[in-house]
Amino acid sequence: MSFFTVENLTAGYGGKPVVDHISFELEEGSLMGLLGANGSGKTTLLKAVCGILPHRGSCTLEKTVLEKLSPRELARLCSYIPQRSGISIDISVLDVVLMGFNPRLGLLEYSSAQMKERARQALNRTGLGGWEEENYLHLSEGQKQLCILARTLAVEGRLLLLDEPESALDFRYRYRMLELLQEWLRDGEQGENGKRAALAALHDPSLALNCCDSLLLLSEGKIRAVLHPGTDSLESMEKQLAVIYGSVSLHRCRDKSGREQLVMLKESGENE
Amino acid sequence: MALPTAKTKLFCAAGAILMIALAAASLFVGKYPLSLEGILGRDPMQLRVFWTLRASRTAVGVIGGFALGVAGFVYQTVFRNPLASPDVIGVSSGASAGAAAGILFLSGAAAVTASAFAGALAAVILALALSSLDRAGRNSTIVLAGIAVHSLAQTALMCLKLTADPERELASIEYWIMGSLNGISGYSIGANLILCLLCAAVLFLLHRQILLLSAEEGEARMLGVNVGRLRLVVLLTATLAVSCIVSLSGLISFVGLLAPHGARLLTKRNSMGTMLLGGMLGSILLTGADILARSVSSTELPVSIFTSLLGAPFLIFLIIRGRQKA
Repeated sequence: MSFFTVENLTAGYGGKPVVDHISFELEEGSLMGLLGANGSGKTTLLKAVCGILPHRGSCTLEKTVLEKLSPRELARLCSYIPQRSGISIDISVLDVVLMGFNPRLGLLEYSSAQMKERARQALNRTGLGGWEEENYLHLSEGQKQLCILARTLAVEGRLLLLDEPESALDFRYRYRMLELLQEWLRDGEQGENGKRAALAALHDPSLALNCCDSLLLLSEGKIRAVLHPGTDSLESMEKQLAVIYGSVSLHRCRDKSGREQLVMLKESGENE
Repeated sequence: MALPTAKTKLFCAAGAILMIALAAASLFVGKYPLSLEGILGRDPMQLRVFWTLRASRTAVGVIGGFALGVAGFVYQTVFRNPLASPDVIGVSSGASAGAAAGILFLSGAAAVTASAFAGALAAVILALALSSLDRAGRNSTIVLAGIAVHSLAQTALMCLKLTADPERELASIEYWIMGSLNGISGYSIGANLILCLLCAAVLFLLHRQILLLSAEEGEARMLGVNVGRLRLVVLLTATLAVSCIVSLSGLISFVGLLAPHGARLLTKRNSMGTMLLGGMLGSILLTGADILARSVSSTELPVSIFTSLLGAPFLIFLIIRGRQKA
């Protein structure tokens, strides 16, 4: 049995399905990317999986059916990073990170010194060390994303859902964010709290091809293909990616350290 | 989480000193002059005025202002709107309609207070019940339900005014709506103030959860918050506190809006300290306004005149100061 299984998931708005009968599996320790054009249903799928959006079908993490959990139980297992955090009040960066510990605290409990230390460490890892007392609203959009990522890294979740986490980040921090995600997955393999997996809707296909173990291609609310960039041939991936992005070509390049990377280019003169 | 910073503690200490000073002044200001010597010398008349009129009036000013400030903080945080106040879900208009019904059909100040309280509570319960029809439980639905209840209560109030005797009952209704701490006596306030303090205590205990409600609904849910249930508990508690006060005093404008806004502009944060400071500013504003209401003219004036007169320039000052610093 897979680590995380989605079966026949249908969700939408106003009775109209945006994602329709979606099923897929996610292996433990893996990072799955979700690629699709605007309006293909990536955000809807993520919101349905984490229970924000009412849906039909089921999501099972190991043997736990997520739909049967209370918000508190669900939040202990599963974290969600939205495209943009809705926090709109003056609050310190450290307090935003400490919000992540809420599912582990009683109704009237406060965060402990140990939790504060973990929150500080998570901020250091995301490059926001020293910003603890800054007003969250004064951060740039990219820094806000890193702060929300720190909130997720600080707690011991099992499944991480991310909605275009890199969209507001500069080139350097896009890769840093994905590195942090991979570190988080590795920590799960070595830690005592069980293994982890992540599902991330990504904006940048080249980044997704280089950093994800598998890619789910979504078009018009349905899964068109599942790619495995490490093993699939360039030709077959080009063919599948063309369904979403029109005619594209994939190229293998090596950086100065000799590490191979995939680059996706749009073929000129062709729109479909 | 979100505990007071050193700056917030300093503002809270200053607020507490000013609040105590105004409470002390409120005990001695009024038509019947009281002196410390008279009270300490156990002058029977002075003691009677002190305990039955001044102490109770001051208690309502201090505790009522505090509750209005704290409730305003809660509303502004939960609705993520600095202009939100308990009026959003129709509590004031419900209390007004209830008070008008009490003035017309019941007799005695205590009955009017009870009727106003029932009106406020009915408005809140109706607004929250209407909003619960939306299964998505959006903030905007609560606001819309509040507007509907406000309109209903205003219509009921108009109908009651039409049936009122223009010389006595209509004047009483209008005076009640203007808001005043005049006529509050020790006999009628105990239960209201105890309930009000209990509500404020519950809100302070839940302050960490209240801040979580400031995130978007989906995000708050993924932080382990049962958004619908918690919001219902928090809003009901805050509104109950406000109902306890407006049913005693009539409508008091601006305190619930200004006090938390002022606290936030001073501390530049949303924390338990900001909530406490919001309560203190509410106390300062209401007690100060009440002192002016009974001392600037030979006849007592409605307290809302002074809460607005003191509050509006203070708010403008804070906004300009905040912008200049930014």
